[in-house]
Amino acid sequence: MFALVDAVAFYASAEKVFDPSIRNKPVVVLTNNDGCICAVCPIARKLKIPKFEPYFKLKNFLKKHNVVVRSSNYELYADLSARMMTEINRYSDNQYIYSIDESFLHFEGFNRIVKDWHAYGHEIRRSVWRKTKIPVGVGFGPTATLSKAANHAAKKLPGFDGVAVIDNEASRKHILGMMDVGDVWGVGRRISKKLKIMGIHTALDLANQPAKIMRKQFSVVLERTINELNGTACLSWDEVKQKKKEVYSTRSFGERITDIHSLKSALTAHCSIVSRKLRKQGSLAKRLVIFAHSSPHENNYYKRAFIHEFPVASSDATVFANAVKNVIVSIYKPGVRFYKCGIGAIELEDGMHHQADLFNQSQDKPELMKCLDEINNRFGSHTLKIASEKQTSSWKMRRDLLSPRYTTRWSDIPVIQC
Amino acid sequence: MNVIPIKAEAGITGFESPAAEYQELGLSLDELLVEHPTATFIGIASGDSMVGVGIFSGDLLIVDRALEVRHGDIIVANYNGGFTCKILDKERGLLVSASQYHPPVVIKELDTFQLEGIVSRSVRLHRKSKEVFSCLR
Repeated sequence: MFALVDAVAFYASAEKVFDPSIRNKPVVVLTNNDGCICAVCPIARKLKIPKFEPYFKLKNFLKKHNVVVRSSNYELYADLSARMMTEINRYSDNQYIYSIDESFLHFEGFNRIVKDWHAYGHEIRRSVWRKTKIPVGVGFGPTATLSKAANHAAKKLPGFDGVAVIDNEASRKHILGMMDVGDVWGVGRRISKKLKIMGIHTALDLANQPAKIMRKQFSVVLERTINELNGTACLSWDEVKQKKKEVYSTRSFGERITDIHSLKSALTAHCSIVSRKLRKQGSLAKRLVIFAHSSPHENNYYKRAFIHEFPVASSDATVFANAVKNVIVSIYKPGVRFYKCGIGAIELEDGMHHQADLFNQSQDKPELMKCLDEINNRFGSHTLKIASEKQTSSWKMRRDLLSPRYTTRWSDIPVIQC
Repeated sequence: MNVIPIKAEAGITGFESPAAEYQELGLSLDELLVEHPTATFIGIASGDSMVGVGIFSGDLLIVDRALEVRHGDIIVANYNGGFTCKILDKERGLLVSASQYHPPVVIKELDTFQLEGIVSRSVRLHRKSKEVFSCLR
């Protein structure tokens, strides 16, 4: 048996943990730079607040309905996520953390201990709620994909109370029959459009397709999904999440940037982020996309993107920074009010099986990068940085509605009335 | 403390510290004071209604959400939308203060009441240094 445990509107729920005054109020959380709404708590959901809509468009509506609006408090979410995952881990000996608020569990040999999966699911919910004050939904199924479907049912479909179990044909057909094919794990938006044209509307419709034929029309991934929907487990944890094939770091500026030095600083900072991500997953980049643009909502939209190819694949922040230095004069244009910029590492190679080159010597300094990573891991992510990274602070994230960092800063710990 | 009963010997080359073999991990306040790390949070007390049990304004309260609540525990509750520290009288449904100036509060039906955790320890900072002060404010 598999289970997927995930938090209900995690960011919004996390905001309520240390602020009991908003527990019974509608709460929404904004993305980076307070741009869009990215989390809507169940109470706010009743107001039909759309997700991923720009904040400024909904400002008056939210005010009218007394909705509590918060900036993303990543420090708080990271801490609460770790606590939640540790609590969930108590219920299985095989846990796979899929994202900040989702965790798969695999139960082997539990049939003798657990007689009633439904009750077990409620026990997990109760325990996580009591110890972290984060509400979670739990879905059980004989495969990872079915447990994800059950989780969807537990939270979104009528007739479920936060826990759903697929453990026989009736429950499988019941849940898959009510589920849109686009909500099936691994079915993207584009594929679901195509499937619907073919008359495949629900998850059950998809499960009933011949897997081999669908493989020819679509991909081996969809074949596996169909098999999983029929109860044949074919995904292992390693396949659940593959190494990223591209790594990006992009962000819009808190305020517009017009000078070349600020733009260069921001791009260099993205170099640091991207190269750190690459080192973490043991990859090297052969090509780097470097881009910057003004706001598409303004007149004279300006965008420049360059692809820099390295002679030898690299994951060194200083090598990346040099690439920025080379192209910055071509990207920058005086008078342009830059709104966003970023770096993308494309064409990644495995650092383990890297093909060395006789004529081009690598400029990477792995020892230096290792030292940098270790210091930053230990003392905070910006303790050491490349000098050209921070000549400006204007690219810092805008978080005007940030809640206190209750669990990571002494000055922010909650006040308890005595 | 477990001590390995081996006689200390000086090495032939140089003079090794005789204590080297007795070295253990240092004491950790976290280990002593925090029983359930994932279910524990730290808050700061504000107000004087709990002085009778030794909780003064400005003290640090270690709140454990994993402990089972018992009659007479010092608890933190969400009482009408704020964190409140009181003694829980389970039998009569009262939130009792530890001060003669603060009468007990009856939990009524229309009140929001939610148990947040048990105050398992409190920490007094008797001499507030510059470092502690800059941390806390």
